[in-house]
Amino acid sequence: MRKDPYKVLGIKHGASYDEIKKAYRELAKKYHPDRYQNNPLADLAEEKMREINEAYDELMKNSGGGYQYQSYSEQSYENSNASRGSTSGQYQYQYQQQSNSQSKQHSKSQYQYSADNDLEQKARSYINSGNLYEAQKCLDKMKNRNAAWHYLQGLIFLRKGWYDRGYTNIQKAYNMEPQNFEYRNALNNLNQQAAGYRQNSYYRNTHREPDMCNICLRLWCADSLCECLGGDLIGCC
Amino acid sequence: MFGYVEIDKPELKIREYELFRGYYCSLCKSLGRRYGQISRFTLTYDLTFLYVLLDALNSLPAGGKMQSCIAHPIKKRFVVNSNIFAEYTSDMNIILMYYNLMDKWEDERKLLGKTGTLVLRRAFNKAQRLYPKKAKNISDQLKTLSRIEKQGCDSTDEAAESFALIMSEIFNCDHIEGEVEKKALSWLGYNLGRWIYILDAYDDIEKDNEKSNYNPLLEQYKYDGKDIKEFKESIKDKVNFSLTYSLSEVEKAYSLLEIEKNKGIMDNILYSGLILKTDSVLQGKREMNEKRSV
Repeated sequence: MRKDPYKVLGIKHGASYDEIKKAYRELAKKYHPDRYQNNPLADLAEEKMREINEAYDELMKNSGGGYQYQSYSEQSYENSNASRGSTSGQYQYQYQQQSNSQSKQHSKSQYQYSADNDLEQKARSYINSGNLYEAQKCLDKMKNRNAAWHYLQGLIFLRKGWYDRGYTNIQKAYNMEPQNFEYRNALNNLNQQAAGYRQNSYYRNTHREPDMCNICLRLWCADSLCECLGGDLIGCC
Repeated sequence: MFGYVEIDKPELKIREYELFRGYYCSLCKSLGRRYGQISRFTLTYDLTFLYVLLDALNSLPAGGKMQSCIAHPIKKRFVVNSNIFAEYTSDMNIILMYYNLMDKWEDERKLLGKTGTLVLRRAFNKAQRLYPKKAKNISDQLKTLSRIEKQGCDSTDEAAESFALIMSEIFNCDHIEGEVEKKALSWLGYNLGRWIYILDAYDDIEKDNEKSNYNPLLEQYKYDGKDIKEFKESIKDKVNFSLTYSLSEVEKAYSLLEIEKNKGIMDNILYSGLILKTDSVLQGKREMNEKRSV
């Protein structure tokens, strides 16, 4: 059964164009593949993203705002990314390609161990398909513990939920090759995820009432400022 | 180990707070009905959280009525009507508490542990019969945990794994049908269990050091016998990352669940209660005067 697009976006029937757009943006941010990197639930998030895109497309089509409507879900997705200042439109695909070509370059210029290279490629594809056991076996066979090795080992740990070791390994990869885009990106992402949760949580706590002391202090400040400018806020002092 | 999952009470609406308390009472009563009055003392907030979460996935409204109970005989309180999830959570509570007490007896020779296991023996047998596979998996993980602790494992990740898997097993409730939900719940449980284990380890550093008990953080960061406060301070950032990242994964799993009700309570715990608890433990603030019972 097809889901109600309004329900998917969590808005009321007859919501305005802006409301739909806002809800869509928030959800697209929530289920963005960046957030579900190295997460065993990435496929579920992807599915959710597809649902949201479909719902958004359907509502846009029906809203009559035809000139703003984009017919492909990928486009609307990209659009939301661009507005967030992110460059990762068709994220996973690009990312994959980039990282593959990068590691190929590395192998030619720096490392002579072709056996290690094969294992590295294999480990990569096992990690992508979620087969951590086989990926680990490949890594264990590699002789050269280079930056790529630490990076992949880090990814395996992250997938398993061993974040402490995952972080240490990825940091090591980054320290060994600070110019590598992939390692830097992964390290930044880890820090961002933790900080992001905190921020999101603190945001909810900022609505706490100021205490009496605070209110008095503010009033006194306001009064002083007014007096400086020649007026008066509180007559008695 | 238990009781770290809490609500951020000042931020809850009164009606949400009443509802949360109603869930707690419902679970307590369900324990009493199924396992006898004494088992009611074993109830923890962590399992109340699980009950609220599981029930949130079910679209039927949470009905309830005003009832009195032994703890509050005069004033009647709102109690949520018991359902399959209340029963499931109370069964899991018994299994968890029984093993917890047994662990206390075997590791630290605490008399409370022994008495507790004797008292809970019958209740445990009943719960075990209902969920033999779960009980077996939990018991296996606890054995692994105990082995790891005896070996003095120096990786917090590895030490936390067993408890995380236990929570994952418990959160992956048999009465939830959707595969998506089961997968998300299981990952949520894993990360919450990991958070509890590491938070508890950080909280107990001083105590474990004094009594020379095993503590993964003392092992991993090679405590050298100097000032313990300084040591705690020096590892704070690392522990903070590990804890916050685990919570961010809890939140990601939660985002994938179709929450039909109790959203206010769930959001309150997940976005506020857990991080507040993290900070209060990291900053060494123990709320001594806090009331334990709702």
